[in-house]
Amino acid sequence: MSASAVGVSFRPGELEVRPDGTGNQLGSRCSACGAHFFPVREACSGCLSDQLETVRFSTEGTLYTFSIVRQSTPAFEVPYALGYVDFPEGVRIMGQISGIDLDEIKIGMPMVLSLEPFGEDEEGNPLTGYRFRPAEGN
Amino acid sequence: MTRFGKHPDSDAADLGAEALHGAVADAGIDPRLIEAAYVGHVFQGMVTGQRVLAQVGLAGLPLANVENACSSGATAIREASLAIRAGEHDVVIAIGTEHLTSKFRGALTPDPSDPEAAVGATMPSVYAMRARRYMEEFGMTREQLALIPVKNKSNAARNPLAHFRKEITVEDVLESRPIADPLRLHDCSPVTDGAAAVILMSDKAAKQHSNGRAVKLAASALRTGTVDVEPASMTFEPLTWATAQDAYERAGIGPEEVDFAEVHDCFSIAEVLRVEGLGLFKQGDYPSAVERGDANIEGRLPINPSGGLIGKGHPLGGTGVAQVVEIVRQLRGESGDRQIEGPRVGLAHCRGGKAVGIEGAACTVQILVR
Ligand SMILES: [Zn+2]
Repeated sequence: MSASAVGVSFRPGELEVRPDGTGNQLGSRCSACGAHFFPVREACSGCLSDQLETVRFSTEGTLYTFSIVRQSTPAFEVPYALGYVDFPEGVRIMGQISGIDLDEIKIGMPMVLSLEPFGEDEEGNPLTGYRFRPAEGN
Repeated sequence: MTRFGKHPDSDAADLGAEALHGAVADAGIDPRLIEAAYVGHVFQGMVTGQRVLAQVGLAGLPLANVENACSSGATAIREASLAIRAGEHDVVIAIGTEHLTSKFRGALTPDPSDPEAAVGATMPSVYAMRARRYMEEFGMTREQLALIPVKNKSNAARNPLAHFRKEITVEDVLESRPIADPLRLHDCSPVTDGAAAVILMSDKAAKQHSNGRAVKLAASALRTGTVDVEPASMTFEPLTWATAQDAYERAGIGPEEVDFAEVHDCFSIAEVLRVEGLGLFKQGDYPSAVERGDANIEGRLPINPSGGLIGKGHPLGGTGVAQVVEIVRQLRGESGDRQIEGPRVGLAHCRGGKAVGIEGAACTVQILVR
């Protein structure tokens, strides 16, 4: 365990968090037809093959759309930005958006995966989740 | 159907029983003619349908409780129609009921196990993102979108059973509390209690028992969403389109013959996506059609004359059945202040439920003909 604040993944089946603080979102790739899915699935809805492998998705994508959420469940402090990011594998993943003023967010922005503290487990240990932040130089 | 709104002194079984009595009285039949029941509800717990029938003293019938998120009531109607088409029964009741105010306060959220709920998705936020994308692609303005709640609440003001009875202005919409940008409170359907019921009959039973006021259920189509292989456009609804094609084909009626529709406007943007997905308006055209008044009760193609989910209210299980009640009454010319002039074909559309990677959980399209 490194000394950094990297905790355990908040959802290990969907987000791999490595001790060095890097990580990837996880999904399935169909060995038969090449389709990708998020989250991990048992069978391919394109060709019905069950030969699926778990793969790490790229960490760079494009913002498809977003919203500023003003009312949510008690688990989330409002306001926060929520968006869908399209990844080159052909998956669209929802996540919160960080690292930018809420009124600066625009459809089409290049985004990168950002591992960040994301709540705690039942014993109060910090968990690591993901948000998307604008790519450097954007 | 019951009045839609807040019913602090009754529960889902009381409301369902009231709706059942209303349907029996409307049909003018002996309730003992009912051979089977399908009861749609979402958050009311086990065997709510049995509790409804127990209230009215109907015992022993085959009954199935039906859960399909916001399409639960509509799915109950479809199941009832299949039981009749299969020749198993001649008179079947479909009921939808929900006491939602005792279960929820604010926005409904997807099941917490959902990966999107885990990162902060709410139902309004998902539709808000679709609205943002639609505005970007088709140039819809925020003011154009506000005209949908203005229209639907104006229709609801003419509907004595609606949750909201007060007209609103574009300014009221734009000044209401922000929920998930760009959507505000008036863009959202409310948390509503209510129930509705319809009686379906075979042709034979209708000849014998109907009081000459029956209308024909020409099609009742149901589909579930497919898992997306590629991310689908969020500004068009392939699931609504495919379900509608099933219904049009079964009814032998095309979208150009539809005189009015009740569609699932859980949010203002949803009405846009639905009517375009149903092929009633071309993609990108609906906001300006609303601006021209085309979707008003007096317009070319009235949409949600009842007030829709936004104006009449949205008691999940009750919603799909109430849409069909509205269509039946409009086709019979019994809709009073909000009567459409001489309609022949009405269409009801529901869709609901959220599961990550699936375009939509359940979608129904029903076509009724005078
Ligand atoms: Zn495949």
